[in-house]
Amino acid sequence: MSTVAPPLDALAVAAAIRDANATRTSLRLVGGGTWLDAGRPVHAGATLDLSSLRGVVQYEPGDFTLTARAGTTLAEIAGVTGRAGQWLTLQPHGSLDGTIGATIATASWGPLASAYGTPRDHLLGCEVVTGSGETVRAGGRVVKNVAGFDLSRLMTGAWGTLGVITEVTVRLRARPEADRTFAVALEGPDERACDDAMRWLRATPYRPLAAELCSAAMSDRIGLERRTLLLVRLGGNEELVRSAERAVAELGTTAGVDAAVWDRLRESEPPGATVVRLGSLPTELGALWARVTRIVGARGGASHATLTRGVVRCILPAAPTSESIEELRGIMKELHARGSRIVERLPDALWADVPSTFSDPLSRDVYRTFDPNGVLNPGILGHSA
Amino acid sequence: MSTTVGASGSSTSSVPARGASHPDDGLARALAAIVGERRVLERPGELRAYESDGLPGYQQRPSLAVFPGTRDETIAVVRLFAERGVRYVPRGAGTGLSGGALADGVVLLGLHRLREIISIDPDNRRAVVEPGVVNFSLSRAAAPYGLYYAPDPSSQTACTIGGNVAENAGGPHCLKYGVTLNHVLAVTALLPSGEVVTLGNPHGEMEGYDLLGAFVGSEGCFGIALDVTVRLEPLPQAVCTLLADFPTVHGAAEAVSAIIASGIVPAALELMDAPTIQAVEASIYAAGYPTDAAAILLIEVDGPSAGLDEDAARVSRFCTEAGARAVRVATDAADRMRLWQGRKKAFGAMGRLASHLAVQDAVVPRTRLPDILATIERIGRRHGVRVCNVFHAGDGNLHPNVAYDGGNAEEAARVHDAMGEIMNACIAAGGTITGEHGIGLDKLPYMDRLFTPETLAAMCALRSVFDPEQRSNPGKVVPVHSCREWHGTPAARARPA
Repeated sequence: MSTVAPPLDALAVAAAIRDANATRTSLRLVGGGTWLDAGRPVHAGATLDLSSLRGVVQYEPGDFTLTARAGTTLAEIAGVTGRAGQWLTLQPHGSLDGTIGATIATASWGPLASAYGTPRDHLLGCEVVTGSGETVRAGGRVVKNVAGFDLSRLMTGAWGTLGVITEVTVRLRARPEADRTFAVALEGPDERACDDAMRWLRATPYRPLAAELCSAAMSDRIGLERRTLLLVRLGGNEELVRSAERAVAELGTTAGVDAAVWDRLRESEPPGATVVRLGSLPTELGALWARVTRIVGARGGASHATLTRGVVRCILPAAPTSESIEELRGIMKELHARGSRIVERLPDALWADVPSTFSDPLSRDVYRTFDPNGVLNPGILGHSA
Repeated sequence: MSTTVGASGSSTSSVPARGASHPDDGLARALAAIVGERRVLERPGELRAYESDGLPGYQQRPSLAVFPGTRDETIAVVRLFAERGVRYVPRGAGTGLSGGALADGVVLLGLHRLREIISIDPDNRRAVVEPGVVNFSLSRAAAPYGLYYAPDPSSQTACTIGGNVAENAGGPHCLKYGVTLNHVLAVTALLPSGEVVTLGNPHGEMEGYDLLGAFVGSEGCFGIALDVTVRLEPLPQAVCTLLADFPTVHGAAEAVSAIIASGIVPAALELMDAPTIQAVEASIYAAGYPTDAAAILLIEVDGPSAGLDEDAARVSRFCTEAGARAVRVATDAADRMRLWQGRKKAFGAMGRLASHLAVQDAVVPRTRLPDILATIERIGRRHGVRVCNVFHAGDGNLHPNVAYDGGNAEEAARVHDAMGEIMNACIAAGGTITGEHGIGLDKLPYMDRLFTPETLAAMCALRSVFDPEQRSNPGKVVPVHSCREWHGTPAARARPA
């Protein structure tokens, strides 16, 4: 696979995409390269390296918005915003070397989604070069905007199949005055532990920044006691956090832990891991959690759940041999849920078992509209031109 | 192209366009067979009530109006439109402020009779509603469970959830809680072709293209919501409402910047200037605002009781430091309600000042607020028009409105020019032309100033996916001239039999 010369701006991206259309050469989009093993295998004629589209374009702290080129890493954004006491409240799973462009393109999120939502709730606007080589500037730089049809939302989670995101504007928040994390030891069988935590979350007037249930294996992996733990992150002014802390203690034995557990949780996947997210209604999460942690735990994996979103994320160890891949195929059949199943990472050989994410006519028409020749990340969503 | 204000939509109704969708007895009869004769209006006298929406100054007469009462009737009506190639405009309560629900010689499809709250699931904090459910009645129905529906447009006692979805409606409390987009989990959409599709996922995570995100805010151009699954929020444990009184608009704007910069996220942060205060206080919605103030801020903080007093005290301090003469705290729920009533009815109070009201909805980056307010003041003075500012200051979402006599062509022209300049200034400040009201008809002339031809063409292309024949709310949102040929536009999908 050849590499197209790294483009330095949207104009050059557009030229590269028009070339790709003219020569019918499909492109594999690469930013920081941290997501290359996610999504379906892509068979492209060339690589479009976007890592040089880098840097913060505009940041006025008082506006709580930041515009950056797509290849800017999350680490760089964290550094720049942190100096002004602000943060981008996405913090998706994976390394901080990942780029903001990939975060939006894959709609990746992490534990803070409990309080702040997912990329679609953060994106204010973007510049995109569509698969047909048109440069589109969607949305804007202000926090409220309903001008025209919402092309920004359309690009969020499209995995680059509609266009190459070259610049984004995101909403920021102030770092809370107090920000403390607690680990609560939950008693009883898995289902009850999960249900208890959910009940507490429903009843409490406090809104934790994050509330993540960790299986014993996951707790162990992030350096905590090997048992089912609820990680609760509380933010706000000092009085609020102190009061919330007392409320958390009603749930079980509580200990303050270092905020670094969140980084460890986000980076807990071993190389080659299979990662699957299962979704349900919050009230059905307990049963799902109990079933899934058992399956995953028995195979040496770990799981965690973002309770308020009703999502369990399962991490299974790498399957390097053909036997282990067949075993994984069997496990994947058991990892289902009524609400949703989103596969993040899977050995290439097993993707054929996963239904395409768009079999509906509307999605297919959207795809044909924005990438008529199928030149961008072909096959990554299980689609074909 | 003329427009904004009354300039184009003077008080006489425009002549309905005669064309493919001219009403014929056959269509009315076929519709009556679906919904019953009483629910099809044809006579000009009957249609008069549907000649305008919430934005005074425009009047357009639909060719006929039809009001289905059930989901099945709605589907049958839209499929009949599809078979006959009929163009139509969906309408909820008609409270929109951009002329989006006006039907110029095409069929008006009223959805306000679809008003069933299908379910409320308190444990999962969500509700499923039909599109004609009134925003506030959902909050009222959810209240016994300690929940409410957060987006609160000022018209919330009249506007419908279907209309809110179409406009991606906001409201004062969207500063903290987010706009409609952030609260809709799924929509069952009826496309103009008559197809029924589910967008989003009511039971789990959404996967694939965010068609739900594209649909919310599509102003009726992508189809109709047959039902909407929304997220409900828990009622806050405590609420504190403050009224700060400023001798200068600049001081109020500075206070807004200081509050936002502090990291406190008030539930709402609203600014009203002297002309607005005076209009409100002269109306039946008088809220006891200080009539000699240059500006007031209405600020609400909410959440757990712990720590709330401290946030309120800090907010109060920021106001005083920015020059507030007084900061008063609402004493009880009734007092709070009265303070809010004045704000929520401000547009209505202004509407009483003259026959026409030009309503704007621009957004600027929040650090630009003090500058832009000064600019607006200068523009108003130069054109001799009195701008009333009442807006969601915390979001930078301005509503510079002007009440004027639409029958006075000279005055209307001055208002039109002033509004154009204000919009240009907001765009130049890095802002946008609408934060929550939508483009509709009224903001169409500004689309070219805000977006490149490629971007507008991409919007048209997206619309064509949902509505290849552009029959649903024709002529709105994206100027027709910008819908040039798009490389990848797919052929229209076959309609269902």
